[in-house]
Amino acid sequence: MWQLLRREFHALQRDGWQLALISYVPLLGFLFLWWLFSAALPRQLPIAIVDEDHSSVSRELGRYLDANSVAEPIAYTDIQQAVAAMRSGEVFAVVRLPYALKRDLLTGHKPTIDLRYNGQFLLVGKLLSSQLQLTLADGLKQISRVKQLAAGVNPAQVEVRLTPVAAQSTALFNRNMNYVGFLVPPMLIALWQLVAMLSYANSLNRELREQSLADCYRLGLSRVLLAKFLFYTPLMLLHGVLLLVMMYGYIGLPIAGSLLWLIPAQLIMLIAVWLWVQAMFFVIADSARVISMCTGLFAPAFAFMGVTFPTSNMPLLAQWWRALIPSSHYIETHIAIVNHGLGLTTVLQQSTSYLGFLLLLLPAWYFAWRYGRALQPERQASGALL
Amino acid sequence: MSCWRWIWLDLLSVVKDRAIALTLFGGISFYAILYPSPYLNNVPTSQALVVVDLDHSSLSRQMIRYADANPGISVTGYAATMDEARQWLVDGRASSMLVIPEDFRHKLLRGKQVTLGYGGDASYFLIYSAVVQGLTQAGLDIGHNIQLRGMLAQGMNPTKAEQSLDAISLNAVPVFNQGLGYPAYVIPGLFLLILHQTLLIGTGILGAGQWQRSGYWHQLSPLGIVLCRIGTFTLLYCFFSAFYIGWCYYLYGVGLLASLGQVLLLMLPFLLATACCGVAFSTLFHRRDLPTQVLLLSSMPILFVSGFVWPLTLIPQPLVWLSQLVPAVPGIMGMLQLNQMGADWSQVQPRWLQLWGLLLFYLPLAWWGVKRRLQQLPI
Repeated sequence: MWQLLRREFHALQRDGWQLALISYVPLLGFLFLWWLFSAALPRQLPIAIVDEDHSSVSRELGRYLDANSVAEPIAYTDIQQAVAAMRSGEVFAVVRLPYALKRDLLTGHKPTIDLRYNGQFLLVGKLLSSQLQLTLADGLKQISRVKQLAAGVNPAQVEVRLTPVAAQSTALFNRNMNYVGFLVPPMLIALWQLVAMLSYANSLNRELREQSLADCYRLGLSRVLLAKFLFYTPLMLLHGVLLLVMMYGYIGLPIAGSLLWLIPAQLIMLIAVWLWVQAMFFVIADSARVISMCTGLFAPAFAFMGVTFPTSNMPLLAQWWRALIPSSHYIETHIAIVNHGLGLTTVLQQSTSYLGFLLLLLPAWYFAWRYGRALQPERQASGALL
Repeated sequence: MSCWRWIWLDLLSVVKDRAIALTLFGGISFYAILYPSPYLNNVPTSQALVVVDLDHSSLSRQMIRYADANPGISVTGYAATMDEARQWLVDGRASSMLVIPEDFRHKLLRGKQVTLGYGGDASYFLIYSAVVQGLTQAGLDIGHNIQLRGMLAQGMNPTKAEQSLDAISLNAVPVFNQGLGYPAYVIPGLFLLILHQTLLIGTGILGAGQWQRSGYWHQLSPLGIVLCRIGTFTLLYCFFSAFYIGWCYYLYGVGLLASLGQVLLLMLPFLLATACCGVAFSTLFHRRDLPTQVLLLSSMPILFVSGFVWPLTLIPQPLVWLSQLVPAVPGIMGMLQLNQMGADWSQVQPRWLQLWGLLLFYLPLAWWGVKRRLQQLPI
């Protein structure tokens, strides 16, 4: 076995890309994605404000918008310019304070404030919509407060009159709605899964490229595969642990459970990835196409995880496809431990959902057996030569 | 050999090469179905809500009915205490909770303020926002009802009472993607990225296999090879682009605001620049299984740096500068501005010129790379 491991090590030394793949490529990818989202909380998103009233009320509302950390109001004099800026994506929302806003308020008419937000940039648009509505509602409340006091309402009663039912909404498990905590872990896991898949596929493909598959059969296929497993699992697990330590140790994202329990979960996910790659390899047996097929399966992993768009709202077919990807099983354990603070029992419970991946052993075993038979005459021939 | 004959042979070799044909024809048609499939229901609906009703009054039950009536929420169960409700969330039986405090009705009738508690699992932002939005709406409606009843009891004219409750109306409407649907948000950018990546993979695999052997591809000068290969792939991708932008965009209900001429005008430099980048990129490889791997790992970073998921103003500037060299980045943004947000051509022009600039940038690189690979060829 030791010799087989050394064989893997020598093969690794000869292959520059494979070396890069198990060393700096994942690190670069992790750092790139984290740096990209490092702002964590959206701030000072440009919005257009068109003040057609120029009254104390409209200026007051403008100041309220300015005070919101999410929005950065830019004054436009003309609605057409604001629309053009919106169409080119320079601003993400337009607030129009209409002409005679103050006069209508004072005379008991009902003015309308128009708010348009960009739904094409969904994340930004939804955030701005709720933030701007809250801010404007707050600003208008001050105006109503004055109105109530002027009507002779007892100051202690004003607040109740304005909002009899107040609300306290709490973002559980991610208190400040941090985008790094929300998006970066699943993204990095998807990337990690790709790296793991590629490194294992390359290791198998090398046997094809260097036409050493017959050697593998001679050395005992299961032992060679076991050696690959023993060689690449710790390497990739190391990357996985590094990723966790970077996110929850160095960056300091909040974690409710223990990081330790994520390691067995990662190990199980890696095994599922290996099973996929192995099955693909033996069924297809062509290096470029093995990579293409595995890519087809694993590339959309992030979309199917159900973190951005909830799993329960996916169509049934998408849910089935989702179950084929190991990372979508892992991410549930990950969230259960990191956010909900559950322990080892959850890992064990959820690991049963991976059992289906064992079925992949069947085609792998069948096709491996067929190759073995096809290679047999060669072996006998070479044996005769020896 | 004439250019046309070369391009014809090139097209044949693309079709005959099973790895390339699988990526190009298989990948493009498969991804057209697979990638949008999780998002086909557009918006998250019926998120499970657990209610902690400490009041048990007619008004608290009305609040629960209001919440349940919201399309984003579906009341799945009741818990006796907050801790029990929290357990529901942890177990995944519910994704949000509503806490109605004791004396909810009593206090409201006595003219005191009450506070409702909304909690949502913010591990999933889309669920959280759907639930909080729905609960806020329900809470506002309840408050509104109470206020109205109070005013009517004091003998106020109903019309006036309504008016004094909504002194001002806030007309908030999403634009460009009016239903706030997920496919219309993701698909335009994602599909251009798929076109971009598969084109690079196609040229990459083809080049990696060809440069070290001799064949029909060496019968032109290096510049001729580069130009003709750009021609081959642009020709091929005209069809794929027509399928994605003409048909799939339409099928998935993506906003289509640009005219056909404008889209063609934008796609031309996008395809040319990408194909040229692909030829330059292919000269870096000696093995046919590597281009797919490099591009696979770069897909997610390119998607997120292109600026439609995470706003460009929040992305660190060095990353933005670096990303401008990738044809997909100006391509995606230009397409979104032009086709999804209906910008004028004058507003898209900088990106259009940038794409032509990228073509000019990659052309000498591709020429130099091909020339170098030809010289290395053992004769």
